[in-house]
Amino acid sequence: MTAALATLVLGFVIGYLGQRSRLCFVAGYRDLFLIRDASLLKGVIGAFLGALAGFILFKFLGGRIVGFPMLLKTPELDSVSAWLITIVGGLGVGFVGALAGGCPFRMHVLAAEGKRTYWFYLLGFYLGLIFYNLVTFHILERITSLD
Amino acid sequence: MGTIDQGTGPVTASADATKDSGAFATRYMSGSRWNPFRHKVNVNVSPLQAGLVLGFSAALVQAYFKVIPPVAYGICMVCHPRDLVNWLADHLLKIEWDYSLASSSWPLLTVVGVLLGAMVAARQHGELRPQPSRQRWFYFVNGFLMMNFGLILGSCPIRIVLLTAYGDLLGVVGCGCVILGVVMGTIALRWSARRSIARGVSA
Repeated sequence: MTAALATLVLGFVIGYLGQRSRLCFVAGYRDLFLIRDASLLKGVIGAFLGALAGFILFKFLGGRIVGFPMLLKTPELDSVSAWLITIVGGLGVGFVGALAGGCPFRMHVLAAEGKRTYWFYLLGFYLGLIFYNLVTFHILERITSLD
Repeated sequence: MGTIDQGTGPVTASADATKDSGAFATRYMSGSRWNPFRHKVNVNVSPLQAGLVLGFSAALVQAYFKVIPPVAYGICMVCHPRDLVNWLADHLLKIEWDYSLASSSWPLLTVVGVLLGAMVAARQHGELRPQPSRQRWFYFVNGFLMMNFGLILGSCPIRIVLLTAYGDLLGVVGCGCVILGVVMGTIALRWSARRSIARGVSA
């Protein structure tokens, strides 16, 4: 219950700020590469710095920041399948994000603004989830069991 | 300049009021600068400020509001929808689909919050207007692929940044791969744009 309410409130706040600032975690890299404009990339760097500051502060204050900083204690570091999955997934997310012109967060914000194009994105997004549950999940299980 | 304006405004208004209470009402109820119900809200946030708030509050919900395990799970626009939909499928339709431990008792509602927050912000600033769709199938397929690749990676572009901040080495590799993927996608877009321009010229 606590987590559900906290994420609802947090989602509202970042949705509001995201609509006002055009914050996007894919367009940040794309703009830097395409038109040498770092204004959106500052949002990504801000998120990194904010998260880092938060993790250090709340670790110091005794919050539930388990195992921070991970570094060499990262689980699954010796598993080949974890590396493979991370590389394939990362490249895929970046490529598809660049084609669509934004990260899923930005797409949700644009859909909420009433742009119908992005309603179709979300339709594909949630149907893709059902496909993942039925097909991709089982393929992933096969791959991870090979280790 | 601003202070002088503010100082003279009410004085003339009260002078009007002595002559005619109707004019006083009109002046104060409709046109005034400080009337919160007439005044259009104008919030301007830079991406840097929004990013700082996003990152810090993601750490906050993990530390004190039980959005854990897994770690660095404060915001994820791929895993939280997965948790919500699969939790609903599990509890309403009795389909055993996988979701994270953080949403074992109640699902995470980030997506609902983002949609509501963006809608309120757009409404307040007069940017909430229906616009017709274009390239439906292209965006449909993009959404479909994004969800699948995102769940293979186990995070969205936001959470991979949070994981990098957490010091997760696989997260660092994933973040690098996302950046590389974006570069590849941008090159592909540029190539397809050039090709369509060339085709247009030759035709």
